[in-house]
Amino acid sequence: MMSTSQAIVAGIAAEWMENPTSAALNEEARQRAEDHALAAMVDQYASALYRVAYSVLRNQADAEDAVQEAFVRVLRHRDSLGEVRDHRVWLIRIVWNIVLDRKRRAKTRPETDDVAELARVLPSTGLSAEELAAAAQHHAHVLGCVDRLPAKERQVLMLSAFEELSSVEIASVLGISESSVRSRLFRARNLMADLLDHERSLR
Amino acid sequence: MNSNPRDPMTSESASSPAEETLRLIASLPAPEGLERRVQSLLDAVPHRGRVLAWPQSFRPESGWMRSAAAAAIVFVVAGGGWGVYTRVENTHFDQNQPAKVIVMPARIPSGFGGAGAIRTPETLPGPKAPEPVKVSPEANPARPKTAKKPIAIHKPSNGEASQPDKPAAEAGAPR
Repeated sequence: MMSTSQAIVAGIAAEWMENPTSAALNEEARQRAEDHALAAMVDQYASALYRVAYSVLRNQADAEDAVQEAFVRVLRHRDSLGEVRDHRVWLIRIVWNIVLDRKRRAKTRPETDDVAELARVLPSTGLSAEELAAAAQHHAHVLGCVDRLPAKERQVLMLSAFEELSSVEIASVLGISESSVRSRLFRARNLMADLLDHERSLR
Repeated sequence: MNSNPRDPMTSESASSPAEETLRLIASLPAPEGLERRVQSLLDAVPHRGRVLAWPQSFRPESGWMRSAAAAAIVFVVAGGGWGVYTRVENTHFDQNQPAKVIVMPARIPSGFGGAGAIRTPETLPGPKAPEPVKVSPEANPARPKTAKKPIAIHKPSNGEASQPDKPAAEAGAPR
């Protein structure tokens, strides 16, 4: 006569051996659902992530690489997608860390490259070539001043330029409190005013 | 008009060129086909392989793993408690059994040896008193048994005091 434990083991073995398709089908369905969710995230947030990456890296190819790397990281951790409350802030945080890491490792490029890149990407509607070059020069000069800010203040100032990010979301991206975001933004604005005044007085 | 650069409103307006530039960069459109390129990259990345899947009863979501962990903890605690209990009982209540005697080794087989030397403590010899001589009366019969007269104490004069070895007649003779 078969004992209880033998019956349990036999049942599990039967489920394993005779019904492997149901488990595989469940797994396949789950994987398909995850793929769909990931594709939807790419469609929804890729451009926002690109703009965040470009604001730091200021290079189109580097920014696109950073976005792709961010989504590859998401793909690797897609099992934990269900635990994420705000996908947008979570993705911005991922790409923010990637671009900061890349910026840290990259060699400092000469400012002329930035100017050329800016002149290429800036909207040129209604601007002559001279005006466009002057605007690019001005923006490059301002960005040079931004680069001279302390890192904490610079990061908050750059993230505050994104209209869709509130101070709470910036705090979440940077892993600091909202009051710290406000105080850093205040300091950054004051420092920028000093830097721009200083530059004007030198001219 | 307030022109203090430290004032938040004024400083914000003073740094507006910077923020305008940053906003301009932040609003630049993404390149065409970015989503498609990212999607094709994700399709090219090999998905994580799942060769074996847990059977339905063994799925971690079913809670069997938590139950097994709880059972293991209970087993370890109960087994440890039982082991301590049985040892304590043997030690205190089995007094009829002879106690274990651990014989210490007479000499450590390895290590330094004394080479047969005997240590003598450095002590000083104590003072030795001479044996008292006991004289019995039978051994000296010539000695009278009368009581001794008190000896007159001779007080020397001044002259005698300077020459104590000279006889008395010689000391009083004129020269």
